[in-house]
Parts: sequence; structure tokens; C-alpha cells
Amino acid sequence: MAEDPKTPYEPRIVAFLCKWCSSAGSDLAGVSRIQYPANATPITVPCSGSVSPQYILTAFRKGADGVLVSGCHLGDCHYLEGNYLARRKLFLVKELLEFIGLEPERFRMSWVSAAEGAKFAQVITDFVADLRPLGPQDKLQGQRP
Amino acid sequence: MIDPEELRTRARDLLEGGQVRAVIGYRRGSRGWAAEPVVITRPEEAQDLVWDPSCVHNLALYLVQDRRRRGALRESTDRPIGILAKGCDARAIVVLMQENYVQRDEVYIIGLSCESSGMLDERKLAGAAEGIDPQALEAVDFEGDAFVLSSQHQQWRLPAAGVMAERCLECRNPCPKVHDTLLGKEPREQERRGTASAPTMSDPFAELQRFEQTADSAAARWDFWSRQFDRCIRCFACRSVCPMCYCEECMVDSISFTVTPDTTAQEKANRLRWIERSASRSDNIGYHLTRALHLAGRCIDCGECERVCPVRIPLRLLNTKMERESRERFGYEPGASVEVAALLASFRDDDPNDFIR
Ligand code: SF4
Ligand code: SF4
Ligand code: SF4
Ligand code: FES
Repeated sequence: MAEDPKTPYEPRIVAFLCKWCSSAGSDLAGVSRIQYPANATPITVPCSGSVSPQYILTAFRKGADGVLVSGCHLGDCHYLEGNYLARRKLFLVKELLEFIGLEPERFRMSWVSAAEGAKFAQVITDFVADLRPLGPQDKLQGQRP
Repeated sequence: MIDPEELRTRARDLLEGGQVRAVIGYRRGSRGWAAEPVVITRPEEAQDLVWDPSCVHNLALYLVQDRRRRGALRESTDRPIGILAKGCDARAIVVLMQENYVQRDEVYIIGLSCESSGMLDERKLAGAAEGIDPQALEAVDFEGDAFVLSSQHQQWRLPAAGVMAERCLECRNPCPKVHDTLLGKEPREQERRGTASAPTMSDPFAELQRFEQTADSAAARWDFWSRQFDRCIRCFACRSVCPMCYCEECMVDSISFTVTPDTTAQEKANRLRWIERSASRSDNIGYHLTRALHLAGRCIDCGECERVCPVRIPLRLLNTKMERESRERFGYEPGASVEVAALLASFRDDDPNDFIR
């Protein structure tokens, strides 16, 4: 869809945030009153390793324009290995989505600690900026009855 | 080259000696030259076994069926089941053992090396050579790197590479690595691949590379895949034929969800259905991406899913894409070893990280 310069497209992001780090990081961004776009719907998960590829596919199939998975920095995972396992698994998800022709910008991962409110805000800001020109994601989305 | 008679003797001896309770193999089917899978239990049935380029099926599937059947009947056994295994079948069996679905001592693997050949692709045969009517053929046989096709009155000798299944052209391990007894030899690299100036086989992932070269943008790939996914009728043949798709409950198929006399209507209604069975584009994408991910590190490229698809969806592309990424990025080779940890149950410190912010 062409971009209308006057009313830019507001992408809808589903953000799977690890409760031990990125979710707390997003809270910190909030309480620190850092301004960032309100396009992301956060879903708190126990660990980035608990994010099934099915969550990501389903978010896209229900119409998400972008999906973010954010976890603790390597070495900081509450369950020690969860983010290492997530990294490998979600790398394949990313490759597969690109392989069938989804724009690579639409899926993203980040490591954001509970202390990195500013980084969280930056991740979302960048994501929204990258998604805006792409317009709505209508490839994986099912027809609504 | 393997003499089918040798194979029959081996199977007969195993059954006669009581070392195995049955042998999973191939026999001549009801359709002319094409072989069909069979499970034999009596020594005299061994004479029906065949080995030729029409033995396309991955017999590991019948190992899965055997386990299911024994599970349903609560049948215990002290003897292994024998199984003929080409390179790809043997890789599938290795994955089943790696996942503890079958135990090593439950199977007796009769390895068959494809040597400098592979399996015939029936669709390629249809247009391969002037004057050959596939319907009239009565036998196909190996002869070095050629296939010999015979009808009642005539014989043709075709270079195998021209009519061989794509996965066989790309095959790295035509000779089983894990086996109890082996027929045929491990081919030397040159026998298999020819020389650089006169190659007989393709490079591994050749078809995937061709696809990526022609569809080199997201838009081109989407154009290609959306058409493929739209065509899928969700017959689930690809899943049914796959030895790695052994889940009793399959998340892409709500009718596989367990229902007992105690299951209430409410429980049925509340079962989470990630992907509907309807053949809509979105549900089809959900199905195929889920399947590709569930097979990552497990698919051993027997090509059966693609062979059985009635609408010719190039499923190998999805699976070999996952296989190549796993190999190149994680150094993982599916079906190579029973001992190594599964692809998605392991990691390395230097796994790709540069895609993460
Ligand atoms: S994929 Fe390899 S092992 Fe399997 S039939 Fe073909 S050549 Fe033989
Ligand atoms: S065999 Fe082909 S049509 Fe049937 S479900 Fe698989 S991809 Fe779809
Ligand atoms: S996905 Fe296809 S090629 Fe891979 S193991 Fe299953 S049937 Fe064979
Ligand atoms: S606990 Fe945060 S990524 Fe595992």
C-alpha cells in the first residue's frame, strides 16, 4: 500500500517480552517517561525460550504488521539457556519467513535488560520507523469473515 | 551393484533363524514395474522382495506404524523387526532412535547402498525419452549409473541422472552409515558425482540454489509461494507419508486431537486450534511453516512428501532451506548420529547473533 505522507500508517506490533528483563525494561521506559511510539502490544512471557514459533506465526496470521521477541542478554537468562535456545529456533523462523517472501523487517529480536528502558524505547522506535513504509502486512493474514 | 537374490537370502535367513520377527521391504506391486512396501513374516515370502530404482518409499514410515500398532495392542516383543534401508531410510531411522521413538535393539537394519545411482522419478520418466510408454514398462533395473527399462518386447538403457529423483541427484549419503548388515558398497566420491568437467549428480541443495537465484527478492519469493500455498488442498498426504511426522496429536489437524468417552463437549470446544483444517491461504501457510519448523533438523530429505503431493507443491524447497541453514549456521546434519543432541535442543555460543538488536 502506498504511503500517504500526511497520515502515515500506524503499524501494529506484537511484542513478546521476557518477564525477567525486557518486560521490566519496558516498565522502566514508562516510569522514566521516555517517549516512544505506542504501536506495540506487549505480551509477557516467562522467558524468550518459551516463545513458540506458533506464537509468531499466529500473530502474523491475525494481522500483526511486525513481531518482536525480546529477552535477557546472553548469560543473563533466568533459566540459563532459554535465550540461547530461542536464538537458534527463532533464527530459523526468521529465515523461513523471509524465504516465503515476508519482508525481513517484519520480524525482530532484541536483548533488553530490566535496566535498559532507553534501549527498549529505541528498539520500538526503530521498529515502527522500519514498518511504517511497508504498510499493512496482508500476506499471512487470514481473511476476516 | 546389489544382487536382489542376495537380499532375499539375507531376509530369508533372518526370518528362518528367528533373529527378526518380520522384514519391512519392497515387493513388485500391482502396477507393472513399480515396487510397493511390504511387511513379510514368513521365510518363503522373502522370494517376493525386490530391489530396483522404483523402491522410492521411505520404509522408516512402516517402522513408525509397527510401533503404533504394538502400542495399541500392548504387544511386547523380544525380537527386533528387520527393515531394508537406503541411505535416506537409514537417516530417518537414526532420527527416530535419536528421539527415542524406537530403540536400537528393536530394529535390525539391512542397509542398501544406492552406490552411483538413486531412485527413478516417475514424473521425469514421463517426458524423458521418445517411444517409452511408462504404462507398458514391466521392469526397471540398476546398471551402474544407468537405468534399464524393459517392456514386454523392448529394452532401453537411460543415463540414470536424467530421470533420477532430484533428492537422489543431491544425495550426500547414498550408503547407510548405521546398519546391522550392508549390501552394496559406499561409492567413492568420483563414482557418485563424476568429475568436475563431467558431473553426473547435482551439488547438494542445487534445486534450492536454482530457486533462490530466480526468485531473488522478497516480492518474487512471495509471488511464487503464495501460488503454491493457494494450491494446497490440505489432504495431509505429505504429513502421512513422512516418517518424522509421528505425533499422535498434530497441532495443525484438529481431528487428530484425542477424544475419549470422558471428553466433554466443552473440552472439545475449548481445545486450542492454532491452525484450522480449512484450505485457506493463511491456514495453509500456517500448516506449511509449522511443518517446516517441526522438521528442522529432523527431515532427512527422502523427498517423499513432495513425491506424493497431488498438486505438486515443491515441499523439498522448504525442508532443504531449513536443512541448509542448520548445516551452515549450526553445523548440524540430520540423521547423522544417534548420540548428538537434537538441533533445537542444543546451541553453540557462536550461533548467529547479528540479527538481534
Ligand atoms: S536420497 Fe540418497 S539414499 Fe535415498 S534413495 Fe536417493 S540416492 Fe538413495
Ligand atoms: S500433499 Fe500437497 S496438497 Fe496435500 S496437504 Fe501436502 S502440500 Fe497440501
Ligand atoms: S519432510 Fe518430506 S523429505 Fe523430509 S523426512 Fe518427511 S517426507 Fe521425507
Ligand atoms: S529469562 Fe529472560 S530470556 Fe530467559
